[in-house]
Amino acid sequence: GTQVKDVVIKSDAPSALLLDKHADYIAAYGSKKDDYEYTLSEYLRMSGIYWGLTVMDLMGQLTRMNQQEISDFIKSCQHDCGGVSASIGHDPHVLYTLSAVQILSLYDNVNVLDVDKVVEYVRGLQQEDGSFAGDKWGEIDTRFSFCAVATLALLGRLDAINMDKAVEFVLSCMNFDGGFGCRPGSESHAGQIYCCTGFLSIAGQLHQVNADLLGWWLCERQLPSGGLNGRPEKLPDVCYSWWVLASLKIIGRIHWIDKSKLRSFILACQDEETGGFADRPGDMVDPFHTLFGVAGLSLLGEGQIKDVNPVLCMPEDVLERLGLHPDLLSYSTPLVPAAIVFNRSSSSMS
Amino acid sequence: MHGRVKLKSTAQQEEEKRKEREKKLKIYVAARDAIFTKRMEGVLDDEALQLTQQLLSSNPDFATLWNYRREILLHLETVREEDDVQKMYEAELLFLESCLKVNPKSYGSWHHRGWVSARLPRPDWARELGLCDRCLSLDDRNFHCWDYRRMVVKMSGVPVDQELQFTDRLIGSNFSNYSSWHYRSTLLPLLHPESPDPPSPCHQPSHSSPPPSPQTHSHRVCEEQLLKEYELVQNAFFTDPNDQSAWFYYRWLLGRAEREEMISCVFVSREEERVAVAFSRPVNASSSGLMLVLDGQPQRVEWRSVHPHFRHSPVWICALPPGTISDIINEHNLTVHWTEKHTHRDCALYTGRSESWCRDSATDQELFRSELSVEKTSVLQSELQSCNQLLELEPQNKWCLLTIVLLMRALDPLGYERETLSHFQTLKEVDSMRSAYYGDLCSKFMIENTILKMEYAEVRVFSLSDKNLTMLCHLDQLLLVTHINLSCNQLLRLPPQFAMLQCLEVLEADDNAIENLDGLYYLPKLQEVSLKNNQISKLSDLQLLTSCPKLTCLDLRGNPVTQIANIQSELTELLPSVTDLLI
Repeated sequence: GTQVKDVVIKSDAPSALLLDKHADYIAAYGSKKDDYEYTLSEYLRMSGIYWGLTVMDLMGQLTRMNQQEISDFIKSCQHDCGGVSASIGHDPHVLYTLSAVQILSLYDNVNVLDVDKVVEYVRGLQQEDGSFAGDKWGEIDTRFSFCAVATLALLGRLDAINMDKAVEFVLSCMNFDGGFGCRPGSESHAGQIYCCTGFLSIAGQLHQVNADLLGWWLCERQLPSGGLNGRPEKLPDVCYSWWVLASLKIIGRIHWIDKSKLRSFILACQDEETGGFADRPGDMVDPFHTLFGVAGLSLLGEGQIKDVNPVLCMPEDVLERLGLHPDLLSYSTPLVPAAIVFNRSSSSMS
Repeated sequence: MHGRVKLKSTAQQEEEKRKEREKKLKIYVAARDAIFTKRMEGVLDDEALQLTQQLLSSNPDFATLWNYRREILLHLETVREEDDVQKMYEAELLFLESCLKVNPKSYGSWHHRGWVSARLPRPDWARELGLCDRCLSLDDRNFHCWDYRRMVVKMSGVPVDQELQFTDRLIGSNFSNYSSWHYRSTLLPLLHPESPDPPSPCHQPSHSSPPPSPQTHSHRVCEEQLLKEYELVQNAFFTDPNDQSAWFYYRWLLGRAEREEMISCVFVSREEERVAVAFSRPVNASSSGLMLVLDGQPQRVEWRSVHPHFRHSPVWICALPPGTISDIINEHNLTVHWTEKHTHRDCALYTGRSESWCRDSATDQELFRSELSVEKTSVLQSELQSCNQLLELEPQNKWCLLTIVLLMRALDPLGYERETLSHFQTLKEVDSMRSAYYGDLCSKFMIENTILKMEYAEVRVFSLSDKNLTMLCHLDQLLLVTHINLSCNQLLRLPPQFAMLQCLEVLEADDNAIENLDGLYYLPKLQEVSLKNNQISKLSDLQLLTSCPKLTCLDLRGNPVTQIANIQSELTELLPSVTDLLI
C-alpha cells in the first residue's frame, strides 16, 4: 500500500493560541528593512502589507501600524494607467491593485487612490472571453478574475465589467471534481477554488457550484494530522486552512471538516519563540502564513479573533461599515442576510 | 515561503549566516538599483538583459524584471533581422530552461516562456512538448507545466488521441497521478463527443465562448469510451486501493447524467389564485423568459421566488389576477412557457376541482440514476462484486466503502437501502474526520429513497421520521406534499428552501434540534405545526410564522422558549389566529 503524505505533530508542539506574540512579530516585521528575505520579497510588498494589516486588525491591533506611512506608500504606487504596483519602481498588476484597495478599505480611505482610474484599469484587463489578464502582458488566471471583482466590489463599481462574460469564463474552468483551476482545463487547486467560489459569491452565482461534490473534494483535503492540503497527495500547509476553509464556508459546508483536529494543526504551526505561523510545524514563519493561520482560526470560531469574511479575507466589521454582504450558500448554519449584495451600485443587484 | 525548515544553530553559525546574507543583499540591491535606474532612463540594452538575467535566475517571481526583459526584446525585434530575432528568442528559451531547473513552479517563468514561444518566428513545438515531458517526469503534479503543455498542444495541433496515450503512460507508471486523470477528464469529451445540441435560434454563435467544462457536460462521452474508462480506472484502484485519484475519477464516471432542462411541475390553486412552478434547476424568473398563458391569453404576472434569499430558485410562484380562476364551475387551461429553453408545461384545471397539477415522476426524470444505459448495468454489477471482494481484503478502506455505496445507488437505490445504511455506519467509524459529510450524504440518499417510494405510492404524505437526517435537500421535489413528518432526526433548522413546500398543510418535526424556522415563510396552506422537543429559544425565532395565514395549531412543548416569562400571552399576541397552542 502507499503511504499518505502528511506531517506528524510532535507532542511538544504549541497548543495554546499566542496572539500577543503574533502581534509583536507583525508589528516588528517591516522595520528590519535591511533583511535579505524582506528585500527579496519586495515584488509582493503591497500584498505583504495587506497580510500584516489584516491579521493585526483581526487581532484588534491595527493601531500599532503606521497608517500615514502606508497610505503615502500606496499613493506612490499608483501608475498613470490606474493600476497599482507592489512597490515603488515595480509595475502595476491586478494582484497589488486589490491588495491596495483592501488596505485602504481597512482604513476607510480608498480616496488616497484615484478610484476612477483604478476602475478603468480593471475594466481594461477583461478579455473578450470574459477572463481577466493580470496586467498588460496578458497572463490569464482565475485568480485575476477574483482580484478584479473583489476590487470593484470594495469600490462599489461592479457595473464596470461584463459580469455575464466574466461568470461564463470562470464556470468554464470548473472541473470533473467540482473544483476550479487557473484556466479552462487546469487542474483543481484549493487556491483557485477559493478565488472562483469567492468570485461566484460576489457575482451572485453560487448556485452554479456543485456544492456537494466540491464540498467532498474540499473536506478530503484534511489529513490524519488534522491539517489541510491544497490538492490530493500533497502535504498539509496552514495557508490551506484559509483557502479550503473559506471555500467550504462560502458553499455552506464548513461542518464537513473536523474542526478540532484542524485547530490543533494550526496552533502547532505557531513559533513560540518568534511569534508568527509557518506553513507546517517546525518551519520558518512569515506574515503570509500568519494571516491565514489566524484567519482560519477565526472561521473556526476562535473567540479572541474578530470574525473574518470568507470571501474577501477582511474583518467582517470593515465590510459591515462598507455595506458589503457577499452571498454565502446556507446549510445548517444560521441564515445569512437576504441577497442585498452590494448597495453602492444599483446595477450590481438583479 | 513554503517548506523552509527552521534549523537551530550556534551563535557563531548565526553570525556567519548573517554576514553571508548581508553580502548577498548588497549584491542584490546593487543589481536591482542599477536595473531600475536604466529602466527609468528608458534604456533597452544588452547590459539590462544581463542584469535582469542575474536577478531572475534566483528570483524569478520578480515580475517587473520579466516585463523589462520583454520590453527590451520587443525593441530588439524592431532593429534585428528575422534570423537574429529567432536566435535571440532561442537564447531566451535556453535561459528560461535554466530558470525552470532552479524553480519549476514560478508563474513568471512559465508565462514568459509562453510569451517567447508565441513571438518566435519559427517555434519548435516538438521541443516544447519534450520540455514538458521531461519536466513532468520529474514532477507529474506540476500544474504550471501541465498548463504549458495544454497551450503547446493547442498551438501545434497535437491529436487528442496522442495526449490520451501520454496519460496512459503516466498513469501506468506512477502513483500520485491526479493530474493525469484530470487531463483525461478534459480529453475524453473531445475524442468522442456526443452530437451537439441543435443550434437554437435565440443564441448567437459565440466564437469567443469557452468550451463546455467536463463538470457541466459529463454526458458528452459516448458509451463505448465510457466503458473503456471504467475498465481503466478499475484496474488502477484494484492495483493500488489507496490511489485516491482513481477513486475520485471513478466517482465522476458514476455521476448522475445531466438532467434535461425542463419544467418539472406546475401546480395551480383556485383558493389562493396562484400558480407554483418547479424547474429542473435553479432559475432566475426575470432573465429566463417565463410566461404564463391562461386559456390562450398571455397573463401579466409577477413571479417571485419562494424566499427572498434566493434570486435563483427551482420554484417560483405567481398570483393570478383576482377572479380569473376562482369560480369552480369553469375549466381552465394553463401553460407555463420557459422561453429561454424552448420548453413549456400544460396544466388543465377541471370543473369542480379546486386545484390541479402536472408533473413528471422522479423515476421518469431519471433523477437519481447514473448515466449508463440499462443494458450496461451488468457492467456495474460486476464492478460491485469486485469492489465487495476488495472490501473483504481491505475492510477499512473508505474509498472502497464509499464507492460500493455509489454503485448501489446507481444500480438499485431502494433495493440496497439496508446495506447502504450499514456502510455509512462503517464509514463514520473508519473515517471519523468526515462523519458529518457521511451523515449529510446518507441523509440525502434516504430522502431520495423516500421520494422514489412516494412515486410508487402516489400520495402526498411524506414521512422521513427516524432516519438520522442531519440535513434536508431535494425540497424542490416536494412542491405537492401536503403532510410531512420529519420527527426524530438531527435537524438543526428548517432552511429557506423549505418554503418550496407550497402545498404543505401539516408539519410534524418533533424531536430534532431545530433552532431556526427560516423556511416557514408564506406557506399559504399550512395549518398545523408540531415542533415538540426542539431548540427554539427566542420569541423572534417564531416571527416568521405570522406569514402563514392558515396556521391554527402550534405545539411548542419541550422547547427552551416555553420557559420565557409570559410566553403564553406573548405568543397569543404574536399569533392570534393560532387557537390551538400547546406549550
